[in-house]
Amino acid sequence: MMMKGGNKVLARSLMTQTLEAVKRKQFKKFHAASSEEQATIERNPYTIFHQALKNCEPVIGLAPILKGGRFYQVPVPLSDRRRRFLAMKWMITECREKKHRRTLMPEKLSQELLQAFHNQGPVVKRKHDMHKMAEANRALAHYRWW
Amino acid sequence: MLKGVTRLVSRVHKAKHEEKHEGQHYNLPLQDMKTIFPHGLPPRYAMQMKTFNEACLMVRKPALELLHYLKNTNFAHPAVRYVLYGEKGTGKTLSLCHIIHFCAKQDWLILHIPDAHLWVKDCRDLLQSSYNKQRFDQPLEASVWLKNFKTTNERFLNQIKIQEKYVWNKRESIEKGSSLGEVVEQGITRVRNATDAVGIVLKELKRQSSLGIFHLLVAVDGVNALWGRTTLKREDKSPIAAEELALIHNLRKMVKNDWNGGAIVMTLSQTGSLFKPRKAYLPQELLGKEGFDALDPFIPILVGNYNPKEFESCIQYYLENSWLQHEKAHTEEGKKELLFLSNGNPGQLERLCAYL
Repeated sequence: MMMKGGNKVLARSLMTQTLEAVKRKQFKKFHAASSEEQATIERNPYTIFHQALKNCEPVIGLAPILKGGRFYQVPVPLSDRRRRFLAMKWMITECREKKHRRTLMPEKLSQELLQAFHNQGPVVKRKHDMHKMAEANRALAHYRWW
Repeated sequence: MLKGVTRLVSRVHKAKHEEKHEGQHYNLPLQDMKTIFPHGLPPRYAMQMKTFNEACLMVRKPALELLHYLKNTNFAHPAVRYVLYGEKGTGKTLSLCHIIHFCAKQDWLILHIPDAHLWVKDCRDLLQSSYNKQRFDQPLEASVWLKNFKTTNERFLNQIKIQEKYVWNKRESIEKGSSLGEVVEQGITRVRNATDAVGIVLKELKRQSSLGIFHLLVAVDGVNALWGRTTLKREDKSPIAAEELALIHNLRKMVKNDWNGGAIVMTLSQTGSLFKPRKAYLPQELLGKEGFDALDPFIPILVGNYNPKEFESCIQYYLENSWLQHEKAHTEEGKKELLFLSNGNPGQLERLCAYL
């Protein structure tokens, strides 16, 4: 999803720059913190990345089901791969759309990943919104036949 | 404090670097870095300095060789020219910084041009020089350089007195016997005259270093810019030759070895160079015929990739600062992979380790 027009080189370099940015920010926080907090600060960019995406995965999703001429948004369980796909998609679209013209993608992505790692930020909010919509439409759950 | 392969904890004074210290990292105090290097550090190294909160340089063979020559210079002879050359990313600029730090500690006057390529490209305002109608002035670059020069050499500026009267314009002039600091101030405040101020500084330093009051180190990074083409154009879109820029003209006079009392250390650089092929790194290719003849009796010093000991030392340094966070980086296979991917090239290794 990062890749556009098959430009894998660019996508790869953006990802490596993001990981580097995440690492440098965490190091800065590490050096500024006291020794008790230093044990809690995670500096491995890969663990931060995986944990952040795990925090953004929705548990339940909505599917449009046609019944009696109308489409109803029915809460539906999502498969593992669909959840991972949605987490990544939300993260990338969020970074692409909601950034200032002059900020670069690695910079913005690193910011969002760190926020998602701490369960804050817009992507985690979108996951919560999805859960709330599913909860609101609970009554329609019996429209699902699979 | 020396870190690295053998993990010696003793503090070795800069001047006593011997062959046995090769491959070990030397810690530089951050306060020194701010005064001696307001400009001139490679950008990735500056980022690394900020992240680790310390500045560590590896002691390597080319730098040791140069330090040995500098310690044994005969100041009565004309200044010797040393050229650091090598492929991209092998550590030429950092070796130059090592030399500069050494000379600053020995109380030499440092004339450091961080990157001569910045003066021959992307200049916003070119003024026609008031001193010589054929040449062009670059006020911005000159004033920035003067500010940094002032930070590096504060203490010398009051001691050195100029020996000639210079007239800036109808109302302002500098008398004979006033200090160099005033010339620098004039260049910084009156940006229009900054290029001429730079020219005066260079001329005076060259003249007075032969007297023996101070030792002068001229350190130029990217010296191949002085004899190459420029991307600057006049208003009628005709290209400007490097000769026609006043800054470049004065710098060429500076690297000629007709003065004594110091040394000239230069680095070739393909990275910022204009109209040169990417794989070119030898002096003949990058300097061209004109540059090579102008620099002719010089001592070339090849800066190469890391040998296995230096590579190991670099990895140890990163591991000590916990820069390599990936689990597999600690293993033997991980190190072999890194060696293969970077081919021992310091620049490549640094970029690889940045995201691991």
